[in-house]
Amino acid sequence: MEDTYKTPLAKLARFCEIFIPGYMFGKAWGIAHDSTLDLYRAMFPAFLINIAEGMKEIFVTESHSLQLLFSTMSGAMIGFLVIMVLGLVMHFVLKDRRYIDSLRFTSITLIPLAVMNGTLSHVSNTVIDSLGMGESAEALTSSALQSPRGQIIMFCVLYMTSIWMFGKRTGVKGWRRYGVLGVGIGFVAIYFACGLSITTAEWNILLPKLQAAISAH
Amino acid sequence: MNITKQKFVDLNKWILFVAIPVYLIGLFTPIKYMQPGLIFVFGAAFFCLFHQDYFASRLKSAAHIWMFIFIMTVVSYSIPLSKISSTNNIILYIITLMLSLIPLLLFMFGSTEEKPKKKERLAIISFRIAFQITLFMAWASVTAFCFIKGTRPDLFYWAMFHVSTVALLPFLFGRVICGWICPNATFQDGLFKNMTYKRPIPKLSKAIEEQSHTCAMNISGEVDKRAPLMPATLLLSWFPMFFAETVFDLTQVAWYPIVFMYGLIILSLLFPWRKMCTHFCWLSSYRGLASNNSLWRIRYNPSKCRNCKRCLAEESCAFYIDIRKQDNEMPTTCCLCFSCMEACPFDDVLTFRRDPEEKARLKAMLKA
Repeated sequence: MEDTYKTPLAKLARFCEIFIPGYMFGKAWGIAHDSTLDLYRAMFPAFLINIAEGMKEIFVTESHSLQLLFSTMSGAMIGFLVIMVLGLVMHFVLKDRRYIDSLRFTSITLIPLAVMNGTLSHVSNTVIDSLGMGESAEALTSSALQSPRGQIIMFCVLYMTSIWMFGKRTGVKGWRRYGVLGVGIGFVAIYFACGLSITTAEWNILLPKLQAAISAH
Repeated sequence: MNITKQKFVDLNKWILFVAIPVYLIGLFTPIKYMQPGLIFVFGAAFFCLFHQDYFASRLKSAAHIWMFIFIMTVVSYSIPLSKISSTNNIILYIITLMLSLIPLLLFMFGSTEEKPKKKERLAIISFRIAFQITLFMAWASVTAFCFIKGTRPDLFYWAMFHVSTVALLPFLFGRVICGWICPNATFQDGLFKNMTYKRPIPKLSKAIEEQSHTCAMNISGEVDKRAPLMPATLLLSWFPMFFAETVFDLTQVAWYPIVFMYGLIILSLLFPWRKMCTHFCWLSSYRGLASNNSLWRIRYNPSKCRNCKRCLAEESCAFYIDIRKQDNEMPTTCCLCFSCMEACPFDDVLTFRRDPEEKARLKAMLKA
């Protein structure tokens, strides 16, 4: 059966299968700009945003489009780093394939969290836009706190089902399937512990700051 | 007048060949005019083409569909979609009216010697076709609104499109976008499949072609953990479109969805049926990757397959999947069109639920 899969483009396909979800997973961390930076720091783990901001200072250009590309790339690079570390843990649990294929497993199962990151960055941008349009504090609080919570729960559940189903499909046997699920749960717990999603306390400090910044403009 | 199946298909094709330029002229020239009846003409022509085996032998039923479209066009005379609401473009209106009147008269007074097919259409396929055509009509309507009225209802359409096809459906059912949602899929399955002209690129290189036969994954002890999950060319197609979207911030630009969707439709004309979707579609690459994690897929019970080869399942598959080489379910590249299920003469080979024997076999393998 193995021979049927050795096609000339298989290597390239495997590379893309790691690259595309990796890029989508991390890019949200790099796209903050002056007006959204504080909100991004509250929405995502602040140290990830700070690293991405630091990397953006290395590639500075006057072209707005190129700068956007560098911004997403700097976020994506951190995303790859996270995936490589998580992939290493997955590799020790899976133990039935090469590291590059464990990495592929990690990368593809992370797609729900990549979509979640994208959604949260979209929410942050929308909150800033609404703030600029003079939306009430209650409405802003609802869109910054309540709506992301539901989405985070949904995508975390999808992440667990992804690990389970993809594990099943790639023949992860016996207790190892529970093992990779455990790694996934651990990863989500660490992501939360590092500061995923805004807490009410953070929002209460952030809202007056954002309102003051908007009125100053 | 005797109307053979070929004539029936040709007539519906020509209705679309005329309706498409009328639609485009109305939208993208200073005329800025469209009759709502035109959207129904699209729907009826696609419906007849999708169900050609059924309607070619039941011309009166087809005539009833076109009668409905004709009435809709007459009734909607006073409510055209135009830049200035009271304006009516009489030439475009007459063309739209004729597009529904000609098939109505031909099917009403024509006769046929075609015999109805023995095997009835699967209910899930009838539902899929109705869903596909409804979404196509919604897409055509919001695009028309966007370019004629200058308002942006298409933003809501595309937001829903992206939310469902990126964030939800791939994780539940897999690559449904390519079988149920994409307007290009409706074009390909309804119109391009029935077009017999010589394609400018009739064949792709072997390296590209064989990807569709080798991207597979099986829940079994024989899983090749190195197997690519999606064609490389399909994944590579993601790069230019996605980077352009990010770098030039195109998501709010009215022309962007036009370029990416019309681009797909036009490029599809260069290749044989569905080859563009299989190997080069920029819309389904990331969404396809997400589909690897789907909760459900069409089940294949290899122990039930009689190997009669009467199904010609590979020919019916939109994505050229080697169905009989699968272990127990369709691979990620499957778009859930259910054509394989309809093509198989037996009911227990391709199923919604896994066969109990097959279930026990897989359970034992995964436990080991």
